[in-house]
Amino acid sequence: MLETWNNLLGGFVTAGTPINLLWALAGCALGTAIGVLPGLGPAVTVAMLLPITGQVEATASMIFFAGIYYGAMYGGSTTSILLNTPGETGTMVTALEGFKMAKSGRAGAALATSAIGSFVAGSIATVLVTLFAPILAEFAVKLGPPEYFCLMLLAFTTVSAVLGQSTLRGITALFFGLALGLVGMDQITGQVRYTGGVIEFMDGVEVVLVAVGLFAVTEALYNALYEGRSEANLNKMNKAHMTRTEWKRSWPAWLRGTFIGFPFGTIPAGGSEIPTFLSYATERKLADPEFKKEFGTTGAIEGVAGPEAANNAAVTATLVPLLTLGIPTSVTAAILLSALQNYGINAGPQLFETSSALVWALIASLYIGNVMLLVLNLPMVGLWVKLLKIPKAPLYAGILIFATVGVYGMRQSSFDLFIMFGLALVGVVLRRFDFPTAPVIVGLILGPLAEAQFRNAMSIGEGSLAVFFERPMSATLLAIVVLVLVTPRLLAWHRRS
Amino acid sequence: MNTTDSRDPPARADHRPGQLALGIAAVLLAAGLAYGAANIPSDAGYAGVGPDFLPWVVSAAMGLCGVLLIWEVRTGGFRNMPEPSGAARGDWHAMVWVSAGILGNAALITTIGFILSCAMCFTLAVRGLRISEGKPAGNAMQTVKDAVIGMLISAPTFWLFTKFLAVNLPGLTGTGWL
Repeated sequence: MLETWNNLLGGFVTAGTPINLLWALAGCALGTAIGVLPGLGPAVTVAMLLPITGQVEATASMIFFAGIYYGAMYGGSTTSILLNTPGETGTMVTALEGFKMAKSGRAGAALATSAIGSFVAGSIATVLVTLFAPILAEFAVKLGPPEYFCLMLLAFTTVSAVLGQSTLRGITALFFGLALGLVGMDQITGQVRYTGGVIEFMDGVEVVLVAVGLFAVTEALYNALYEGRSEANLNKMNKAHMTRTEWKRSWPAWLRGTFIGFPFGTIPAGGSEIPTFLSYATERKLADPEFKKEFGTTGAIEGVAGPEAANNAAVTATLVPLLTLGIPTSVTAAILLSALQNYGINAGPQLFETSSALVWALIASLYIGNVMLLVLNLPMVGLWVKLLKIPKAPLYAGILIFATVGVYGMRQSSFDLFIMFGLALVGVVLRRFDFPTAPVIVGLILGPLAEAQFRNAMSIGEGSLAVFFERPMSATLLAIVVLVLVTPRLLAWHRRS
Repeated sequence: MNTTDSRDPPARADHRPGQLALGIAAVLLAAGLAYGAANIPSDAGYAGVGPDFLPWVVSAAMGLCGVLLIWEVRTGGFRNMPEPSGAARGDWHAMVWVSAGILGNAALITTIGFILSCAMCFTLAVRGLRISEGKPAGNAMQTVKDAVIGMLISAPTFWLFTKFLAVNLPGLTGTGWL
């Protein structure tokens, strides 16, 4: 314990040097900007910046990359709230309530709760990382394919059944996403599926493409079609602060979100979709009846506070398996791993011994980065709000330019731009007929992973489905899935009779 | 006894044809998925399930969803349907301009480079969006102004991403500035 404290203090000394502080600031600022822009994510950004590892010293570049990683989460929530175009998949849930809050004139509160909640969650999560890194990673290794599959099944269920007005429409959207995820080469056998002979589909449908098409470009098309005459002025924002009631409603949600989000960041296949949806569902269920009706209508602050905290906690937590086991649990974490490898540093259990200075400096810079991001996103939030004052027409047309960067920058394929347009048309239809788009993305991302886990599980169980029920953890998870599906119906039926 | 007409709110548009179309589309998609799944070999390897398992599952589920959606339409329409936001009828004129911008961009980006192509996309899209707001689409002078604004957005973006972030974006010339 004392040793941990000493190491941490040493880390602060390293992270606190002017050069490293500058790198942290650059990373946080760039990350925020990247998070705000739809289409470009922290993973792509860090990957594209990997060449700097040839020139820049290891500690400095890791601090920089980590800053981008977290900054993107803060920035992503800003766009989710103000423009209903989530910058990152982890901020999709924030868009649900946050945008509604912005539309009813409470953008400032949404942004405040998001920034402060992220800061609270990030700080608590960093403390947890400091204390529990070894223990948590050890538990995570015990999870096998059946458990992973059931976790993903839980994610599918929560995302289709909890969000939106109709479970049927949610599930339809989910299977549409799963169908999109099927395109391309099967992970396990290499079998090519649903490409129709088109070469560009061999690598599958790019996630960024679907996200940008279904969110950003759909927004532009839908606006042109239906929202032209709508009241342009969305909100009057005076201060980015919260009233006492809003504070009181937020901070339990922050804490719950942190403790929901943290475990998910540590397990492979966790990601930030599951904990944010879980947190949203939890907040919705636990909300005071008088606030419950704000969900989905004027926007409930708990629905922003909880998921934002969960998101940041999960992102911070991905450092645990990365630094202790060398297992990346998110795409960006994987890129961070290759950055470490560029320096000849092998992430793994030995990392804490061989490169202790770097690890502790990195952890210390997390604390510093969180403070920087709070400053960048709270007092400066007025700058972001000014985005809304930009007239709608050039704003959405401008978004198309950034969408092009994101989509084209991924695979240098103009064919992707055509697909993006096609998906945007689908997105307009989905929106018009109240089909949620979140399940499409979740189905697309988790689908292939879930399939791989399912097939591995079946191999373990030698072709029998019993494997999911015989193992206690996966049986428990399956029970939770059933509960999530059945409970609302039971409650509604009970209320009626 | 016919009680429906007097109680129907008169102004509510009937979305059921569109909903029916969606249900049918889901069923057709399921059929397409099934056709594709039939062409995938079911080699299961180590007693697991083969690469055709999930395609069949998704196809069956999508088909079921489509059938349920159609059933919902026939028994009164989609459940819990909020009135969609925005206008009741789509402004197709506006949409055509925006689409032209996006599609033109996709078609021309590798030919005339990012900056020019995106500026063109911006000009066409902003015209469409302006039309949707009921404002005059703009004369030649306005179009030139739009193009300039488009360039002012796409050029720095291009430079930022190609020079500082090493993203590979197409240029008209090889200089890296245009």
